[in-house]
Amino acid sequence: MTAPDNSSSQEPKDGEELRIGVFVCRCGTNIAGFLDTETVREYAQTLPGVVFAKENLFTCSEAGVSEIKRGIEENRLNRVVVAACTPRTHEPLFRATCEEAGLNPFLFEFVNIREQCSWVHKSARDSATNKAKDLVRMGVARAALLEAQTEIRSPVVASALIIGGGIAGLSAALSLAKRGFEVKLVEKKEEMGGMLRFLGRIYPADVDAREIVSARIEEAANHPNIEIFTSTQVSDLRGYIGNYTATLRGPEDRSEGITVGVIIVATGIRALVPEGLYGYDGRRVVTQIQFEQELRKGGDLPHQVVFIQCVGSRNRERVYCSRICCMTAVRQALMLKEKTPSAGVHILYRDLQCYGVEFEELLRKAKKVGVRFVAFREENPPVVDDGSVTVISDVLGSELTVPADRVVLSTALLPDESGAATSKLLKVPVDADGFFLEAHVKLRPLDFATEGIFVCGACRWPCTVSESIAQALGAAGRASVYLAAGEVAVEPIVAVLFDEDKCRGCGLCASLCPYSAIEMVETDSGTKARMISVACKGCGVCASTCYRRVIRMEHYSDEQMQAQISACLKGS
Amino acid sequence: MCAGRVDTVHLIHPFLEGADGVFVGSCLAGECHYDTGNSQAVGRVRLVRIILESAGLDGRRLAMKMMSSAEGPKFVEYVTRFVQDLKEVGPLGVIEGITGEDLRIKLTAALRAVEGEKVRWVAGKRYEFTETGNLYGETFTDHEIGRMFREIVADECDLQEMLLRLGKEAMTARDLAARMKTSPPVIVRRLSDLLRLRMVEMSDGEGAPLWKAT
Repeated sequence: MTAPDNSSSQEPKDGEELRIGVFVCRCGTNIAGFLDTETVREYAQTLPGVVFAKENLFTCSEAGVSEIKRGIEENRLNRVVVAACTPRTHEPLFRATCEEAGLNPFLFEFVNIREQCSWVHKSARDSATNKAKDLVRMGVARAALLEAQTEIRSPVVASALIIGGGIAGLSAALSLAKRGFEVKLVEKKEEMGGMLRFLGRIYPADVDAREIVSARIEEAANHPNIEIFTSTQVSDLRGYIGNYTATLRGPEDRSEGITVGVIIVATGIRALVPEGLYGYDGRRVVTQIQFEQELRKGGDLPHQVVFIQCVGSRNRERVYCSRICCMTAVRQALMLKEKTPSAGVHILYRDLQCYGVEFEELLRKAKKVGVRFVAFREENPPVVDDGSVTVISDVLGSELTVPADRVVLSTALLPDESGAATSKLLKVPVDADGFFLEAHVKLRPLDFATEGIFVCGACRWPCTVSESIAQALGAAGRASVYLAAGEVAVEPIVAVLFDEDKCRGCGLCASLCPYSAIEMVETDSGTKARMISVACKGCGVCASTCYRRVIRMEHYSDEQMQAQISACLKGS
Repeated sequence: MCAGRVDTVHLIHPFLEGADGVFVGSCLAGECHYDTGNSQAVGRVRLVRIILESAGLDGRRLAMKMMSSAEGPKFVEYVTRFVQDLKEVGPLGVIEGITGEDLRIKLTAALRAVEGEKVRWVAGKRYEFTETGNLYGETFTDHEIGRMFREIVADECDLQEMLLRLGKEAMTARDLAARMKTSPPVIVRRLSDLLRLRMVEMSDGEGAPLWKAT
């Protein structure tokens, strides 16, 4: 993009006369029922630059849309203002209408006189009418300064980088590969498979975890679209959606450069090693993962087993619940009971997290076969002795000593150590506990705020295998939206460095940009900011921060906003 | 529009156009649709409030509230309360005793200050200083930042006001101090700084030298 002219003339470019058309929507009775749309229309007609003003019964109807088109053609309108409902639902329609009539869609201005006026001032017709007039005056003032914009397009390399070769990374890789996209799957360990390599039979499918994961590893290894890099880490990353260049550092420090269009983060979790907690020794007092190996091996199993929940979690250091360890404990208890029905099993817990149909069923089953559950309070943790565990039951309020020849600690699950480095490299956020933070917890659960980077699996939050796979398939789906399109189109509401000479390369804009959409580059005249328009979301933080005032927001320029504010304060 | 787009300039400009108050609404803390925009806006609003106060204007004229888009009643409550507050404070400058030309000069000086590099740099760095830490990893409390803002802003606004007043007419340091309601020694010290920077010039007057902006 070229730097736009920063002048703020009241007239369109090339000295063309300003010809604004205003369309006031009655919205049936939604607007006209509570304010006087004809008065608003008459008023609009008197505003500077307005050559045409029309009232529509429903501006968004077929008839309304054709009235806009006819208005543009017959009156040679070069700006269109619609005073109606909300841009959230109708801006695309009216922009498209302008475009069909040969007017650049960004020369359209939307004024909301329904949600923000008629609907909220239903009992004050005169004030509502006056407010609508104010809003229209503001819209017209801004419209006068609008400039034509062109959509920004950039190609997307049809290849994905997936960081993490656990069940999530593998599932995402296979899903993308089967859709015909190239995948670079990077695992930092020598062996693929992640956490599942250490698990036994997993619930509810009752299949061997290693079987699931090895089948996928084999499938991935044999897939022509997947390239697997083990003992490898991403050491450098540059670029933006559609065009990332990553440096992979593999065994013996060999480096390789790859170019991908999108990135999926699936770096997984690890279990806390409970050194110094409850007499942990890895033999008599073990972790869930160690007990899992013991169950898997079979042979002589302990006869009295006590599980202690929330070890190293839900405390001051780690406030969060690791979410899956209750279910793991219940499952392990049942597996033990299946093998040795006479075994005594106690699960000492603070709160039980067994969610979903299958796991509630599992819990009921465990209670039925005689697994005992004892609740304790954080301030009264169980005490592990030789051959027994003593706990103050929260229900009975008294001390209870249960026999134990094996104590299993359900430890906190932590994000993988590589998470922090990955977060820094990709410039994507993690929360206070080091888990990755998605763009929006409800609306964009698998995206990062930075476009083109996605997250799945337990690195977001401890989750079950099926949740992990579901997220992986979702992330692959999200990624394939961009890969399949082959290009990204971005609304041209972006930041532009309009006077590079004045930029002193301080880097403040780049450091504050939440989307890594600004890079600092060396030029012949020193360090300068460079806007990566395709990655820009138009938040405007850079523009309002730039101490040299040389960044401009397209479609939301200082001049446009100030014109609107001035018009508001001018009064009718 | 994201609150992060709100520039310090946008917050002063309406007052020059006759607004009695300015209200900024943003997403809830930690829920910014654009990640950090709202927390950056908080810093700018705070800075501009300091500027207004240092110009002798009531800080209640600038308010910021956070709410989610699903909290219509809250928005109504906030705006209603803001309007009530403003009605108490009254038209701009009246309760403050700054009117007419004085008010215009004060606000223009404030606008120039926030357009200027020094204040913008400080405002821009605030986020780093309070959230991510400076070069040495030190972060500062809001109190420390506020104190720094206050010093820099008061300095810069005074400087701009002096230049504005001396741009219109030549006057003695004593007259200038009287109009700005500050002490002559402070004014003289600043004038000598400005003289060194060739931003003002001095000529002979009756009894005392006359100063004028270049």
